Amino acid sequence: MSTLATHVSVARAIAMKDLRAELRGRQAVTSTLFLAALTLLIFGFALGPDQARLATAAPGLLWLAVVLSGVLALGRIHHLETDDGAFELLALYPVPRSAIYLGKVLGGVAAMVALGALVLPLTVILYSLDPAGSLPGLVVVIVLGAVGFAAVGTLYAGLTIRLRAREVLLPLLLLPVVAPLLLAAVTATTGLIAGDPFGEVSAWLQLLIGYDLVMLLAGGLVYGLALEE
Amino acid sequence: MPPTTIHVRPAGVPDETTPAAETRDLARLFRRSPALAGVTLRVQPGRAIAVLGPNGAGKTTLLRVLATSLRPSFGTAYVDGIDVALRPDEVRRRVAVMPHATGLYDDLTAAENLRFAADLGGVPRPDREDRIAAALERVGLSAERNARVSRFSAGMRRRLALGRLMLGHPRLVLLDEPYAALDADAMGTVDALLDEWRAGGATILVATHADERLSAWADGWLRLEDGLLVEIGGTGAEGVVAVATPQPQIGSAVPAAGQ
Repeated sequence: MSTLATHVSVARAIAMKDLRAELRGRQAVTSTLFLAALTLLIFGFALGPDQARLATAAPGLLWLAVVLSGVLALGRIHHLETDDGAFELLALYPVPRSAIYLGKVLGGVAAMVALGALVLPLTVILYSLDPAGSLPGLVVVIVLGAVGFAAVGTLYAGLTIRLRAREVLLPLLLLPVVAPLLLAAVTATTGLIAGDPFGEVSAWLQLLIGYDLVMLLAGGLVYGLALEE
Repeated sequence: MPPTTIHVRPAGVPDETTPAAETRDLARLFRRSPALAGVTLRVQPGRAIAVLGPNGAGKTTLLRVLATSLRPSFGTAYVDGIDVALRPDEVRRRVAVMPHATGLYDDLTAAENLRFAADLGGVPRPDREDRIAAALERVGLSAERNARVSRFSAGMRRRLALGRLMLGHPRLVLLDEPYAALDADAMGTVDALLDEWRAGGATILVATHADERLSAWADGWLRLEDGLLVEIGGTGAEGVVAVATPQPQIGSAVPAAGQ
């Protein structure tokens, strides 16, 4: 089997396994979605009924909800491996480390995109947005943001998996590194909702694509360290 | 029985004289405390060897180094003549491992757990379902095929983990406490499986406290204490050559160190 075929086969098996386990662990899914919805609701109440104010804050709050819940989801995907020593066994399969990483990222991207699919309409409803014309662009931003976030999150979740304080360390390590991604995603979302008056969205999308590629490459190279003890 | 000579190790395919597992002055430290303190041993192909010793003797560490799960701190370890630290991927293709923890996913069914292992273990897709069915049948879990592992007892989990080893055709099987949490019937199944693997040409290393089971499958045994290899022995141990530390030398397997 070629290297590419091996990567695809292994990554698919790992991603499917993670998603299946994640969906069956209903508590985890429910708590993740609940956190996202709660974030949007609380900030909605705090900002008051001013529609202009809500619309201005909406892109940032959308990504805040995605990121906070995303940390939970990515951590959970790796915690599945700690239940009964599964991570050690995962490291012993005769497959490339980068393929294991890719599988974990794919599972994370799917979880993040699903999260975005819930958070986006909820934001539209709660914050009275009218994204009709910009919907395809918003979907692209969410997918690109999810890829970058999952690429970094998977790497750090793997590197901290054997630490007792992993649940505290993961957001502490992850959030500073995803700051450029959040800046690009929030700005692109704002531009798209406003109809891209300054023609800057494509530049932010390019930054997102570049960020994703760099982080995927770095993660693929470094993730093997997470599997070593 | 003549003493076994040290073979020059070619980089290519192992021949019948290449030890299935070998360590030379192997040491593994955990926070400067040695779990293994210089172990030199050789296991000849096709042999079933019990690794004995009290808790903390280094049994699990020895298996984990051979499985490539841990890197040696000092010394070297080989599987089929392949250095586990330098070429771990090649070693992983030859080794099947059942650690003390079963490594199963609670939210997946028994069949899904095996399917995942088969996919990552390189089992050909056309054979996959047949092998899964055969493995479940062999460990007595066919009826629980679609039950989630979270509902399994400790013994059932252990049996499923054993079934996972049956998906491939490993050259070296490493088992850590396979009898733990098993009832008498399941212990008998383990004995039979070990015997089958050995008959199929696999080399087996089993870390266990169940000395009473050895007569069913073991060719020989070695005993570790405080990270040191202190005894080697057993019937049919001509293929097993080991040396008491701290002064490594290759000697006959039959006279155990200190005897």
